[in-house]
Amino acid sequence: MKPISQSTFLLEIGDLYLFSLRFFKEVFKPRYEFAELIKQCFYIGYKTVPLVAITGFIMGLVITIQSHPSMEAFGAESWLPSVVSVSLVREIVPVITALICAGKIGSSIGAEIGSMSVSEQINAMEVSGANPFKYLVVTRVIASMLMVPLLVVISDTIGLYGAFLGVNMKQVISFHLFTNQVFLKLTFQDIIPSIIKSFFFGFAIGIIGCFKGYNTKNGTRGVGSTANSAVVASIFAVFVIDLMAAQIADILHLN
Amino acid sequence: MSNETNIATDVIQVSHLKVSFLDNHVLKDFTIQLKQGENLIILGASGSGKSVLIKCIIGLMVADSGSIKVFGDEVTELTPEELNKMRAKVGFLFQSNALYDSMTIRENLRFPLIRHWVKNVRETAEELVMEALTNVGLEDTADKFPSELSGGMQKRIALARTLILKPQVILYDEPTAGLDPITGKEICQLMLELQKKYHTSSIIITHDLNCVKIMASRIVMLIDGICYATGTFEELKQLKDKRVTDFFD
Repeated sequence: MKPISQSTFLLEIGDLYLFSLRFFKEVFKPRYEFAELIKQCFYIGYKTVPLVAITGFIMGLVITIQSHPSMEAFGAESWLPSVVSVSLVREIVPVITALICAGKIGSSIGAEIGSMSVSEQINAMEVSGANPFKYLVVTRVIASMLMVPLLVVISDTIGLYGAFLGVNMKQVISFHLFTNQVFLKLTFQDIIPSIIKSFFFGFAIGIIGCFKGYNTKNGTRGVGSTANSAVVASIFAVFVIDLMAAQIADILHLN
Repeated sequence: MSNETNIATDVIQVSHLKVSFLDNHVLKDFTIQLKQGENLIILGASGSGKSVLIKCIIGLMVADSGSIKVFGDEVTELTPEELNKMRAKVGFLFQSNALYDSMTIRENLRFPLIRHWVKNVRETAEELVMEALTNVGLEDTADKFPSELSGGMQKRIALARTLILKPQVILYDEPTAGLDPITGKEICQLMLELQKKYHTSSIIITHDLNCVKIMASRIVMLIDGICYATGTFEELKQLKDKRVTDFFD
């Protein structure tokens, strides 16, 4: 892959900004592509559930196992469910889920739209009377914005169950007591910001995948590099949004 | 022929069209007319701007200057809604077929019907899809995906999709590209047959001399961004100009 110069990078940021503006212009205009939106929700959401569920479970389990010795050293084993749940819900699960989505959804959107672009399918849609931006971009970005938070909630739930099993590996604790200890510290101030930021993660993953796909050049070789750059740019965007979310939450005293 | 008659018979008028990509001036001052019922072949070297020309006609690309009139309407001045109405009357067969990979053949054919919202589409779509498939002799492929079909079959399906809205004009972008000579000839004969059936006019971009012989009412040579020569197959073949005769050797 060719190294990207500073001016190319800035130009691409500018083009992405214009592409996003077009998204906000088109999203409210009829005609609404509900059938395609539901289809995309199925592909982006339902088809990603197993992957994020397993990852969430492993994250919950691993964080608990690794935190246990430190908590035990401080004599704070009883705090383990609270500490693990807060770190899972606030940071680990949203970010890990977004990274998985960036890999799975970002690359598939980029490659799909990219191959449609190089094989003139996007032009064919336009000639057929459709608005390809609405049909392809708006539906995928909205589906991504709706499904990523949902996947985060699913992954949170399964991650907490993983944490419950992790706690039970070294001590015996009932599910009822575990839940009580979790919700002793975990409040809506932790849950809501994490869901809000995952909307933005979903938007970034969807819009970057579509932008890269829509601007694919150089035939099938271009499709490969589109999928690659869509993933890299989405992952980068997830971390930037996460940093901004942390700063905003701090300013609003939500930490 | 008077101007009034010209307006009545010219379905497409391209005048003094200029298109350039940075320093590459593809179309410099290109002028052609497509008459009702005519099959106009555009011949020219690769990269000479043939595909750019028909993409400008259908509104997929914007020319730097010049005029494109389709059924008397200036394409560059049409609103998106008017452009869509025009596109319902002008079919476009893409070089790469451009069939939607994720849709079955039936869904591919229904797509333009639903988008252009043909009258009573819900009731008549299936009938129109089967009619289009029968026209190209592929009735049993409705539930298959494009990837399950051969190149020639994909081209036929693309032709069926182009014709499903019963356009008055069809723009063909290298309809026989990538096909063997026999299949290419079959596709051209099918195009001619369907043209007679639906009384369409066509602009055909091709390098395939067999296709030119079968289809051409008139040929335009696009060389150096201008309409370099025009005439019938025999007329152009007999010209002494090497740049023209090279195409026919």
